[in-house]
Parts: sequence; structure tokens; C-alpha cells
Amino acid sequence: MSELNPQFAKEISKYGASHFNACYNCGNCTAVCNLSEQQANFPRMFIRYGLLGEKEKILNSKEIWLCYACGDCSESCPRQAYPGEYMAALRRYTIANTEKTGLARLIFTNNPWAIFITLVIALLLGLMLLSIKPEEIIARWLFTYIPYEVIHNMGLGIFALTGITAVVGIYTLARRLLKKDAYDPATVPRKFSFSRTILALKKVSLELAMMKRYQTCDAEDDSYWKHKLWLIKPWFVHWSIMWGFIGLLIATILDFIFKDPATIMWLPSRILGTLTGILLIYGTTLAVFYRLTKPTKSYADIKLADWTFLLFLWIAGFTGFWLEIAVMSGWNDLSTQVVFLVHTVISMELIILFAFSKFAHALYRPLALYFYYSHQTS
Amino acid sequence: MIKEPNFTGKRIGVYICQCGSNISDYVDVEKVREEISRGKGVSLAKITMFACADSAQKEIVADIQNEPLDAIVVASCSPKLHLNTFRGVAERGGLNPYNYVQVNIREQDSWAHSDKPAQATLKAIHLIRAGIAKVSLSEPLTPMTIPAENSVAIVGAGVAGMRAAIELADLGVNVHLIEREHFVGGRVAQWGKMSMTNQTGEEIITELYHEVKKRESIRVYTGANIIASKGSIGNFNIQVKIQPRYVEPPCDPESFKKAIEACPVEVDDEFNFNLTKRKAIFFNYRSEFPAMPVVDMAACTRCEECLKYCHGIRLDQQYRIIEIHVGSIFLATGFNPYEPKKGEFGYQEHPNVITFQQLKRLLDLTKGEFRFRGKKIERVAFIYCVGSRQIDGENKYCARYCCTSAIHAAIQLRQELKVPFIYHINKGIRTYGKQEILYEQSSTSGDVYLQFVEDDPPVVEVLNNPIKVTVNDLLTAHMEVTVTTDLVVLITGMVPRVNTELISILKVPLGKDHFYNEIHPKLRPVETMIDGLVIAGCCQGPRNIAESASSALAAVSKVYSILNKGEIKLEPTLAIVNPAACEWCGKCLEACPFDAIERIETEKVPVARIIESNCKGCGMCTPVCPTEAIDIKGYTNPEVRSMIEAMSG
Repeated sequence: MSELNPQFAKEISKYGASHFNACYNCGNCTAVCNLSEQQANFPRMFIRYGLLGEKEKILNSKEIWLCYACGDCSESCPRQAYPGEYMAALRRYTIANTEKTGLARLIFTNNPWAIFITLVIALLLGLMLLSIKPEEIIARWLFTYIPYEVIHNMGLGIFALTGITAVVGIYTLARRLLKKDAYDPATVPRKFSFSRTILALKKVSLELAMMKRYQTCDAEDDSYWKHKLWLIKPWFVHWSIMWGFIGLLIATILDFIFKDPATIMWLPSRILGTLTGILLIYGTTLAVFYRLTKPTKSYADIKLADWTFLLFLWIAGFTGFWLEIAVMSGWNDLSTQVVFLVHTVISMELIILFAFSKFAHALYRPLALYFYYSHQTS
Repeated sequence: MIKEPNFTGKRIGVYICQCGSNISDYVDVEKVREEISRGKGVSLAKITMFACADSAQKEIVADIQNEPLDAIVVASCSPKLHLNTFRGVAERGGLNPYNYVQVNIREQDSWAHSDKPAQATLKAIHLIRAGIAKVSLSEPLTPMTIPAENSVAIVGAGVAGMRAAIELADLGVNVHLIEREHFVGGRVAQWGKMSMTNQTGEEIITELYHEVKKRESIRVYTGANIIASKGSIGNFNIQVKIQPRYVEPPCDPESFKKAIEACPVEVDDEFNFNLTKRKAIFFNYRSEFPAMPVVDMAACTRCEECLKYCHGIRLDQQYRIIEIHVGSIFLATGFNPYEPKKGEFGYQEHPNVITFQQLKRLLDLTKGEFRFRGKKIERVAFIYCVGSRQIDGENKYCARYCCTSAIHAAIQLRQELKVPFIYHINKGIRTYGKQEILYEQSSTSGDVYLQFVEDDPPVVEVLNNPIKVTVNDLLTAHMEVTVTTDLVVLITGMVPRVNTELISILKVPLGKDHFYNEIHPKLRPVETMIDGLVIAGCCQGPRNIAESASSALAAVSKVYSILNKGEIKLEPTLAIVNPAACEWCGKCLEACPFDAIERIETEKVPVARIIESNCKGCGMCTPVCPTEAIDIKGYTNPEVRSMIEAMSG
């Protein structure tokens, strides 16, 4: 038994699902979705949860993370309720409700705040970067006004705070995903089983490696992407961005460990960095292109939070290559220094805002997938 | 051994149709032809591929003229399909169409006995012999005509009745518009703003009434009931009893107002579904027609307070009875809202459980904030299909108008009265056609829709305050959802108006659902089994105003087609009395369902006489006559007897 809460739909719509109450329950969206199945029934059922105010059901759901927003459902909706957009809004809502500070809520629901927060963090990061090189002229001028320690410790504090938030967020989500749901016996957590755990891990790994589920999104005969080259399909774009970022992250860590080998081109870490950098640029450029040309309805209404995340990745990749060429060519002028500053600030901001932005899906989705597979009855 | 039909000297032509192969696959038509052609009186017997084909028809016409033939028999399909076709053929050949008999050897033979072709062949021979026997004795008949009175009685001055009155008057028909209530407008007058135009019922009725009053050929009677009716199509004689208003014209509106204020009696106001009180002398709304109040004599105490302000009040007025003569009767008596039983979804157990019709009156009376019983209403829950679509109950039908009207009211609640939370607990929304727009508008503006099934209706907990309604929501995998609400509105459907007397006087045929019944829902949608009696609007079944107006106009065209020729052609196959044999026992009078038999005095004895305009030729009178004095033309006793003999031979 649950109490109808009519206010909840308004709350959800702040996260970008403005028209989902047009739904008249035909079920086309669920029927057309290749990822929806009996044990993971969406999007229609989740539109019902939203309309009735079933907050817990949404926050505890694995289903919202199973969706890749291919847009087939929005394409087939006879009422223009945009179920795909709605699922994305539920993910934003869940990210915002998984961290306690309220920052993510501000970023997702209020564009002026989102821009303001992003700029303030960038400024702080810039200041902190100067504290790493205190002998620079600007740094010396600055430290006469604000003590070096204050800036440096503040930076460390922010990193610590965001790190803790991310860990708490993942813990919160894991707890929620394990909750029992009386109305959906398929989702009841089952006793630990070693073989099922191995199987679930295998399936999640496969998904991360090859985006197998995402690939089925384009498999419909009437899908726009069905007969397109795999290189330009959305799943591959997503794959490129994901592995591009992971590769660059690893390369950067290796660089850090082996201390400034930037001038040696043929180190394995450099080769990894260059290749994955190309992947990242390729993926993000196509993603931006699709958002501008809007080949399908899934790109019809792109939110600022989505744009910010994507552009940050693209700028990080682009400035990374600029710096690589600059180092190779021995440039060290002012523009290169500005590019360095931008590259570092953007990269760090991505990491800092991890738990507060779209980026959180990178951990939340595999986590939900893991629990989904490990609880599956068959 | 097959017995031969009696030979009467007629030259008869018999045509055996193969119906492609529908008949000839099972019936040996050649054998049938051989057997039949040997019969006495059969001048020719032919087999045709399709008797109804143009070429075959021409051949029959030629045979009639060349042979010449006195009568024809076609053995083919059901007379329902081609009786008139071959009557036409007979007529074109110069025969009386009643010297033609159709024998059904398809539906009644080849199709029914496809597994036994030999017996089917034998049966075909028997059936055709019976046909030959009948046609041997047939007499030429001519349809009779009766004069038709160019006027119509329309019962019910609601939307359908008034719309029809205007149209019939414009077609030159004299209209008597008979309204039971003291004011015209019917249910529509009560509805306030309505879908899809937001026009109010008051506006629609005012417009129609002005149009009615413009036409001199329309006479409006209010407070009027039909108390007797005689005659039939073309010539109905109706008695109408007219209740007095107890108020006469020479009195200005100001004085009326004062008179109403002065009245000390207060009773429940039925116009507002008992939500408010009214006086014993009253108006329902400001511009109501006829623009004169009425005294409710059942409530009036005759204190005569009102007389002090208005000299037009005549408490001693008496009813009068008038007689009108019309060619057709047009019923548009409308509907009643379904009245929920006590305890049905908390009705009459909690004052905040009201019917949809009460809500409509509330909406019409409310200005500004939406309050009920002194409290502001912020949450409204609608429960749909109350008294409609009942699987086990009486009312199986869908009342059609309620989904659209309820959603329209919800939009009005949200937009005009700023009610923020509206819940629609339904059994499936049916805002068919263009009305779908309202459904979308309502759901996108935030109304929440929940759906239940008949077996598991919502439970209204009336002990709670505010009321809680628990729904097993079909749309959310049968999740139990509790809705807290300030007001529950039962979306009650339609039932027929209570018109017991009228129905028995006019013998109106009723359907299983108790609404008036048409002859055929698709092809003859406004006619009844009683010739000259047409039906329109909600008395026939649930419909909205547009649909009522459409059906009213359809019935107008039917009435006009009856009346415009000035006379009415009747089938000649009617009952006939042989006065010499009749001994007037009265049994035929009892058996006749159409009041078509009367007793007349002759020089010697009283005998029965057929009122031909009433007779339908149903034949109920013939078997009860002990002296065989009564017969049906075209189906006389000798004809039927000879058919039986031919068949059983």
C-alpha cells in the first residue's frame, strides 16, 4: 500500500522530463525497448511510479541504469511523452539524491547555478595550480593577498570532500539497489551465490568491454542506426569516450609515477596516452556532432549538464594533444601555458564533480548492472 | 408419392435458381425441374444460373408476356433478399405483384442439408409444390393508401426535441411540442459550461427556445403529459393533460422576484440535485423559459404571501385536457442520471461523496474559490463508470458522455477554480473522436489517472476525514494506491427517464437496457416497431448533445418522409373479416397487439371490423377465431391449407 504523492511528478520534471504526464499507458515504449524485459520492466512502469510519487521505487531501481537512452521509445511514443528523456531525468534525479550536499541538485535543476558553480570551482582549481608553482610572477603577487597554505589546503580539502562524497554515494546506491520490493518479486535480493557472482561479474565485464547491451539498442529493423557503419553507431561512440577516458587516466597515472617522461615518444605509457586520446577526441567529437545535427529524437532535447560533461571531455582531449605537440616541439610561450592551465583545470574539475555530475553514471551503471545480473532468477 | 397441388386453371411459370452453385451443388435441379414440370397448371419450369441476374429477369418478363403466364414462382434464396426484386419482375411483366411467390430452397434447403443431397432434392420439390399451391389460389392485391395529417407531436422539449421542432416547422409541418416540466431545456439546461465549446447549457437552451418561438407553426405546451392516444401512422389522436402554472402573464419580473422572496416555504431544489433549497414559487435560473415562475402546488401552503406582490398568481387554476391530431409522434424524452445506492462508493455515508451531476451544478453556481460545505476543496477524486458498464449489474452499457464531461469539468476545476490535485479513478478512459484533446490536456496539466477493474473496485473509506480512496491500480501492476481527497465525485452515467405511463399509452418498444428500442440499430436507427412513432436523443440510449442533435435530425427526415406526401401507402396483406361468419366473440380483439380491431353494429348482430391503418397483418387474430371469419389477405386459410397439403403429400 502506498500513498499517492502528486507533488513528486513536478519534482522529477525539474530534472528535464517535462512532458511525461502525457503518457496514456499504451505501453509502446516498453514493447519497443530491446533492453526492457519481464524482470526489468521500463520505461512505462517508471512513468507510473513518477506520476504516483513512488520515490523509493525509483531511487532503489536498477532499471533506470539499464537504459542507454537510445531514444527508440521516444520515437515510438504516440503522445510525445518522451519516455527516453524521462529515464534520463530519473538518472539525474537519482544522482542528485545519492549525494547529501545538494550540489548535484543545483547543477541539474538550475542552469545559472550550474554555470556559477562550475566557474567558481575552475577559479579555485586555477589558484591551487598556482600554489604548485609558487615562483611564478602571478603566484607571488597573489600570495601577498591570500596565504599560500590557505589556498593549498583548501584544494586538498575540496578533493577530500568530493572523494568522500563519491564513496558515500556509491555506498548509498549499493544499499538501495539491495532493497526488497514487495511489488516486484524479480528484484528481491537473493542469498549470496559464488557462481552467480562470477557470472554477474563476467556479464558486467563483457558489457564494459563490448557494450553488448548497448549494441542491441540499434538492432531494430526500423532503427535509424541499423544499417549504418558500426564506427559511427552510438554504442561505439560511447565505447570510444569511455575507453578513451580510462586509457588517458591510466597513462596520466603512469606518467606521474615515472616522472615527466613527456619528451620520450615511445614509452608504452605515451603510446597508450596518444591512442586513447585519439579515441576520446573521436568519440566526443561525434557525440557533439550528433547533439548538433540531431539525427534521432534521443538528441532532441540535450540538457546543459550533458553538454558540460561532453565539452569538458572534448576540451580535455584537445588541450592534451596541443600540449603533447607543444612539448615535442619545445614551445613554451604564454599560449601554451594558458592551454596547460585549461587542460589541468578541466581534467581536475571532471574528477572533482564526479559524484555531482553526469559522470557519476560511470560507476553507478556498472554497479546497478552487477546487482541486476546477480539477482536475476534465470 | 407426392400429391399434386389443386388445379385452379392458372398458367404458372416456375423458375429454379442454381444460385451459382449454392443450390445446385446439393439439390439436383434437373430432377426438381422434371418433377415440377409434370404438375398441373405449370406451363413452364426453367432452371436459371442466377434468377436475380438482369438477363434472367428479362427472360421471366418475356415469358410472362409470351406464354402468357398468370402467376410465377421463383425457387431461390430467402424472400428477405429478393422478394421485392421478383415482385418488380412480375409487375414489369404485367402481373399483380402478389401473384408471385418466392420459395426459399437455399437457406431452408441446400445450405441446411448439404450433407444429404438426395433428401435436399426431395425437400426442394415439396417446397416448390407448396409455392405453386399458394400461387394457384393467390388473388391480386393492391396496397391501400390512407391520408396523413401534416403535423407531429414532439414529446420532450430538450435539445433533441427543440432542435427537431425547429427543423420540422421549417419543412412545413405543424409541431406540437409537449414538455412534462414547467420549463423547457431538459437536462442540458442544468449543465453549465460544457465540452467542447465551453458554451453553457443555459446559452444553448436560450438560443433554441428563441428559434422555437420565432416559428408560428410550433405550439409549446409545458407541464403537459400525454394521457391517451388512439389511431396510427398518419392519424394519431392524442389527449394532452396540461397542468396549470398558477401564474398568469400580467406581472413584471420585479414583482415575480418579490413574490418569490416572500414565499415562506423551502423545499429541496431538484434542479440543483438537492444541493440547495428553493421556494414553492420558483424559477430555476434567471433567464429560464417560459419566462414565468411556477407554483409547486405539492409544496405550496396557500398562505398567499406571494399574492401581495404579484397579481398574476392564480392559485385556483385548474388543469385542462386538449386533443391533438397528428400524423406522427416524435419521442425525445431524455435520460435521468444514475442514482447511486446508499453506500455505493460511500454515497450518502459521507457528505463529501457527491454525484457528477451535483458537481456540474456546483461548478455552475461557484464563483471564485471552490468551496463545499464551507471548506476549501484542494483535492478532488473522480470515480468513473458508477452505474455504467456493470458486468453483473443492470446497466451493461457505457454512458458515452461521462468520460469527456468529467475530464472537461476537471479542466474547469483546475483552470478556473485553481484546484491543484485531481485524480481520475477510471475503468479505461473513452474520450472518443475529437474529445481526446481534453484527455491529453488534463493529463499534461497534472491530473493523475488510476485504473481499476470491475472485480476490484476502489474502496472509499468514509470514516476518514479527509476521505481516503484505495485503488488497486491496473496501470502499475496492481499496486495498491491510497488517494487522500477532500471531495469524491461519482461519475454517474445515464438511465432512461421514468415514463411508465407514456410507454404503456404509446406501446413504446423497450430494449433490454430499458431505453426505447429502434427497429435496427444501423439501418433504421430512429424508427420503432410502431409505425409513425420515431425516437431521438437520450431516450434511445446514452449519447452526447451533438449525437442527440444528429439523431433528432435523422428522425426529422423520417417524420417528413412519412408526412410530406399527404398519404401513406400500406401493405395490402392485412386482416379481413367475413361479416357473414363473424359472431363477435371478441377473441380477436384480445389477441390483437395493435388496437386494429373494433366492434361495429350491423343490422342483425355486432361484428368485428379491421381498422386498416392500425393493422400490421401479423396474423395473431386468425387462429383464435372460432368461426374462421377472420383471415389475412395474401395468407388466407385456404392458401395456407393448400400449401400444407402440397408439402405433406
